[in-house]
Amino acid sequence: MDLFWAVWNNPVVSEYILRRLPTIVIVLFVILTVAAYLVYAERKISAFIQARLGPMRVGPYGLLQPLADALKLISKEDIIPARAERSIFVIAPMISVVASLVVLAVIPFGPGRATITDINIGLLFILAVSSVGVLGIILGGWASNSKYPLLGALRSSAQMVSYEVAIALALVGPLMFAKTLSMVGVIEAQMTDRIWYIFYQPVAFLIFLVGGLAETNRAPFDLPEAESEIVAGYHTEYSGFRWALYFVAEYTNIVISAALAVTVFLGGWHFPGMTKLAEPGTWSYALLAVLVFAVKVFAIVYCFIWFRWTFPRYRYDQLMSLGWKWLIPAGLANILMTGAILVLAQHWGLVETVRTDTGERLVSVWPWGKLFLMAASLLIGIPIVWLVLAVINRRSTDFNLRVQRQIRLPERGEEEIFAEV
Amino acid sequence: MELKGAQIVFYYGLAFFVLIMAVSLIRARSAVHAALYLMGALIGVAGLFVLLHAEFVAGAQILIYVGGVVVLFIFVIMLVNVREEITEATRLFTRQEAVAWALVGAMLIATIIALRREAHLLPPAHAPMEETPLALAEDTQRVGSALYTRAALPFEIASLLLLVAIVGSVILARTRRQEETFD
Repeated sequence: MDLFWAVWNNPVVSEYILRRLPTIVIVLFVILTVAAYLVYAERKISAFIQARLGPMRVGPYGLLQPLADALKLISKEDIIPARAERSIFVIAPMISVVASLVVLAVIPFGPGRATITDINIGLLFILAVSSVGVLGIILGGWASNSKYPLLGALRSSAQMVSYEVAIALALVGPLMFAKTLSMVGVIEAQMTDRIWYIFYQPVAFLIFLVGGLAETNRAPFDLPEAESEIVAGYHTEYSGFRWALYFVAEYTNIVISAALAVTVFLGGWHFPGMTKLAEPGTWSYALLAVLVFAVKVFAIVYCFIWFRWTFPRYRYDQLMSLGWKWLIPAGLANILMTGAILVLAQHWGLVETVRTDTGERLVSVWPWGKLFLMAASLLIGIPIVWLVLAVINRRSTDFNLRVQRQIRLPERGEEEIFAEV
Repeated sequence: MELKGAQIVFYYGLAFFVLIMAVSLIRARSAVHAALYLMGALIGVAGLFVLLHAEFVAGAQILIYVGGVVVLFIFVIMLVNVREEITEATRLFTRQEAVAWALVGAMLIATIIALRREAHLLPPAHAPMEETPLALAEDTQRVGSALYTRAALPFEIASLLLLVAIVGSVILARTRRQEETFD
């Protein structure tokens, strides 16, 4: 009994475990419910886009459909193929689901206790842990010992490894303004500067959005699970609860990608005029903040679902060239541009560094600093990134080194050739 | 450096975890299992970095080694089918165990001698951990400024090496025959 109280009163245990437990439980419960209802939302939105009704049978407007689905999945027979690599087949979905749930620890859902924890490498932690999630997909596909899962796993790992780079590069731009990797710090930096970083970094936001779509294997980048080509991709051989684990991981990843976009580019749980509605530090303020965060996240998730029915699926080589020849050069160009703009702004005294109790924050001078940063990113940044991409991709579709080495002028005039075609 | 309270628990837990993973990695019969154990060991080492207050290095370790290198290992293992090793009951260890033990013993003795000789160079065992008020908040910043000031030349040399490797791999992968087929 003494030992129990000693552990209970230990500052480390109480600070890092006991005080966080309520938030952890609530976040896990809410996110798992949201993941289930995202499936419902996806089916409903898809149905409306295609002029159907979607799920209508279970409950009013089919609202209990996720519950029925969950019951069905849990009570289903759990099949492990005879020639599968048993231990890895079992571990793979766990790796996927753990990697996506661990990330929730640093997502800032709201001020104070509404966030589970705030670590000084928050963004890096998210990128690192979500890169482990790829392993679950590859191992699942390989362990099934079947050709479609293996193809799906190969596709998805190649895709995720390439688009991770683009996402990381896109995040560097706003981090130059935030001067911190902590998720709460990024939101506070935007609050101190009274702006959302999407206005300073429109190019980075676009890269992040496209990269996020690819990273979560969603249409138009859903090659890993393209139904018409490889049945269901890496989880073809999975059934019942293990399949449900993959699904939970997938939909949690969508929420995480959206939450990351909201935190870094859309000001997180902050909204102009929020302090007039509720006093900072009270319960109502925290609740309002969480609500604002949720609304922003769902706006982005809605866009994700919307894109699915707007764009046709990419071919594999198109996917790779989009990642390596468009998004990554654009990200690098954006970093260079942002650095140059910031140095210029500092030189002209348009931004100043303010010391707050949580660290140094960059603040642009009203109104010229903000106007300069926004105008520079829109009027100079976008054209320069465009130029860089145009130069890089000038002859990229030729895909032939030999022709490029020995360019010969056609013997006949061009008009003749065109006339023949 | 002196360990206190929870640090002790975490240090010994992680250290044994890494050791167990490393030994299992060598003993594993299946290459994929070995890659998984490697992943475990690397994550444990990342935990040790966190204990040293080097959070950025820990994050980079997981991002690059687990998310990049182990994924590539598994990629290669999947493409080169190595399942035969499991079905064929080949001997995992040859009869050079005595030699291996002798080498390990010699290395241990050498380490002990070196430690005893150079003990005065090490920081005292009871020195407290370096505690500066902003150490936690600025770890990333310190890595960045060290990388671009004092370590700028090695950093650039490393990037050049990587560039050479990338160009080399592209040349290796893109053969004459492949070019001709796309003519």
